[in-house]
Amino acid sequence: MTLKHILFGSLGCILAACSPADTGTSESADVESAVPKTLTIYSARHYDSDALMYAAFEEATGIKVNVREGKATQLLETMKAEGANSPADVILAADAGSLWRFQTAGLTQALESETLRTKVPAKFRQADSHWYGVSQRLRGVVYDNSQWTAEDVSTWQALMQADKQGEICVRSSSNIYNLSLLAEMIERIGETAAAEWAEAVQQNMARQPQGGDTDQIRAVAAGQCSIAIVNHYYLARLSVSGSETDRDAAAKVSFAVPDFGDGKGAHVNVTAAALTATSANADSATAFVNFLMEPQGQTFLTMETRELPMLSGVALPEGAGVLPAYAASQTPLSIYGEHQVTAQKLYDLAGWN
Amino acid sequence: MANIRSRHKNYTILPAGTNLFAVQKVPLRLRTLGHTLLFLCFTLILLLPLLIAIWFGVTQGGSSSWQHIWDNRLVPYTATTLWVLSLTGVMILLIAVPAAWIIARTEFPGRSIFEWLLVLPLAMPGYVMAYAWGDLASVAGPLQSALRAQLDVSARDYWFPNVYSSGGLAFIFATTLYPYVYITARAAFLGQSQHLFEAARSLNAGRWSVFFRIGLPTAGPAILAGLTLALMEAAADYGAADFLGVPTLGVGIIRAWSSFGEPASAARLALILMALAASLLLISRYFIGNRTAASNARSKTSQTRWHLSTMHAGLVILTLSALLALAFWVPVSRLAWLFLEQGPGTRPLRPLIESTLLLGGLGTGLALLAALIAALARRHKMGVRLALLAGYATPGAVLGLGALLLLSTTGLPLAGGLAIGLLVLVYLSRFTYAGLEPLLNRQAQISPHLDEAARSLGSSGWHKFWRLDIPTLRPGLLAASLILFVEILKELPATLMLRPFGWDTLAVRAHAYATDERLAEATLPSLLIVAAGLIPVILISTRLSESVPKEDI
Repeated sequence: MTLKHILFGSLGCILAACSPADTGTSESADVESAVPKTLTIYSARHYDSDALMYAAFEEATGIKVNVREGKATQLLETMKAEGANSPADVILAADAGSLWRFQTAGLTQALESETLRTKVPAKFRQADSHWYGVSQRLRGVVYDNSQWTAEDVSTWQALMQADKQGEICVRSSSNIYNLSLLAEMIERIGETAAAEWAEAVQQNMARQPQGGDTDQIRAVAAGQCSIAIVNHYYLARLSVSGSETDRDAAAKVSFAVPDFGDGKGAHVNVTAAALTATSANADSATAFVNFLMEPQGQTFLTMETRELPMLSGVALPEGAGVLPAYAASQTPLSIYGEHQVTAQKLYDLAGWN
Repeated sequence: MANIRSRHKNYTILPAGTNLFAVQKVPLRLRTLGHTLLFLCFTLILLLPLLIAIWFGVTQGGSSSWQHIWDNRLVPYTATTLWVLSLTGVMILLIAVPAAWIIARTEFPGRSIFEWLLVLPLAMPGYVMAYAWGDLASVAGPLQSALRAQLDVSARDYWFPNVYSSGGLAFIFATTLYPYVYITARAAFLGQSQHLFEAARSLNAGRWSVFFRIGLPTAGPAILAGLTLALMEAAADYGAADFLGVPTLGVGIIRAWSSFGEPASAARLALILMALAASLLLISRYFIGNRTAASNARSKTSQTRWHLSTMHAGLVILTLSALLALAFWVPVSRLAWLFLEQGPGTRPLRPLIESTLLLGGLGTGLALLAALIAALARRHKMGVRLALLAGYATPGAVLGLGALLLLSTTGLPLAGGLAIGLLVLVYLSRFTYAGLEPLLNRQAQISPHLDEAARSLGSSGWHKFWRLDIPTLRPGLLAASLILFVEILKELPATLMLRPFGWDTLAVRAHAYATDERLAEATLPSLLIVAAGLIPVILISTRLSESVPKEDI
């Protein structure tokens, strides 16, 4: 009896709840009509502050936002499956490599906007305007400042040295941040040298790759290792965490931004936005990406993630003050995508799980 | 109900040797064909996402990345998976079988409370357990920090069990999945004939000898059935293994997809997982052989339990409490602590709870129906079972991929009722087997003569279905719906891929926070999953314990 109730109850509710979602997807037809404009975003981000960001955009423009959040790889398959009828207008993903995949799958189109081209430095957008970086993320090194100085870890190659034996903590190789890092290395120092780097770092590890970036920072603070490869914002988050243990851990370490030994700048990644190839709401999509590149949008993008704003003059999020000065390399970001498969193969062969 | 039950009792006193099967074995050829076609359709629909994924893997795969996986990763992935599964299996047996025996055959203070408390960990998703223990036992976690402060040593100076390892993963699997074996083993022990035990006792057999020579062998099939279910669940896991950094096949499948951008290679790897699962089932079938539970026809199962001495009772209570602490209270308390320390996220939770319960309810209802149909099938049972098993052993992400490929043939967007339909189809592909197993297990305990007797008395079709099949299967149906609901509640990868706009579930949100390395925010949705799972677990496990002794047929 109870089972029946559940079944009937759910059926009723589903029918009721689906109707608004259905209308949300058949919006494509509206052109300049009285029907409110809509925008459908496929996002690989899932921060609470993003919901506030979408609400602020709705408020400012009157455009209704639908969001599907998921992993980038799965959103890509979803879009392929939906084909020409995909409701997606904007793709938002947290790695240039992901955007490259969407672009090579033919799922993006050029978003021509002079404003955006002025605001986003050439290095941080796709050459044909298929995507724009909207915030920056730094992959660097956290080190125990009682044991090392910034000089000791000023290049990625320094992690290969014998004095780092048993000192390095890092997460597994299949993580996109590690893939993008090695992808840039392949481009900068060549495949053979990059393979040697992966092998040497694997040899110097204090433990098998495990956990996320935050866990690596905590392990350095706890003394299990003294060097960890992490993205900057994980340290920033720990430094302003509600937990005292976390803040103590953050206080014990420093952040360095190594280059590739050629003095040509650091590995910087982006969160980027793209206009989909099938979008029927290109105007709304353009308005949204423009919104992201305004001070208000930049604040929403970075307040919780603690990424770095793309727009200069926007205040850094709290906790991001721990970063040293750095210069981004000039490697085109699409390289991260192009070399991703090779990077995973090199890691696999190096035994870096 | 009482009336029906008493009538069953009448049927069971048919002489044990009467075999009415013979009568049924001369069917009309045409009717057989019809049945076969019907079942082929039924299985095909249930397995559509799986078949499409396989087809895709076989036809689209085979690039240089696949070659790389084949040459360099396949053996390690498979070896790790087998090693983790073996460890898990041993741990589960060591936990669940003694616990079930003690609960079923002995009496001690608090026994009836432990009886259902031991089912609680079933409500813990493996990935949530991994978050909690990963945090607790990591080098920077509270346990090791306290240890270092106490002993004044550095993190490199001592050995501590590493939860981020194959052993740690097996521990997580064992503590979350042992209830499968506990439930089936306890029911089997409860159903064992009292005469056997009395005879053994009169021959001066000790308690240990009774356990090893009578209890264990006759409960063997039930234990193996539960174990197969638990191990298959572990084999298809992705969340816990990925979080703990153990490169199992489940992790390799997602890696093939995300790192190499090749869903086809992922589908190919899933085929290997399916083969592994099928061999698991065949091995367990080999051990069970013809020794089905129904063969121990019971004339008397009224349970007299051994009263434990004060010391033994104390020991038992201590051990069971320790087990429950490891498998439930400690990780849940840690999550609650993290939550209180950091506070909740800003997104509202109500829509998450609603969609979780709706999807869970709808999925459970339909999967239960499918399992019932499969269980009541008189032909092709093994075929259907093997087919459903393949679905159960396939990671949700691969089935989700199949569903997306299915969607691509329609040219429609992933939204609304269509998305829900696809998601529920994936739930059916993935979980019907988990609902079928308890039903088959229950059927095996019921004398086949009952069914034949009903037929010979002219009862058939809907009449027989409502008056005989449903009532006799009731304990099995309860167990099946419990397992299905909890499974769907915890399901992550397919829900993540296929849910329509605005249909985030608790699992989806907990995972989103956890992948952002914001464990504190992940705790509230995680705790809510556990809470939502607890209600049916408690409800049904108490009803199960009521129904077992009374409903013996």
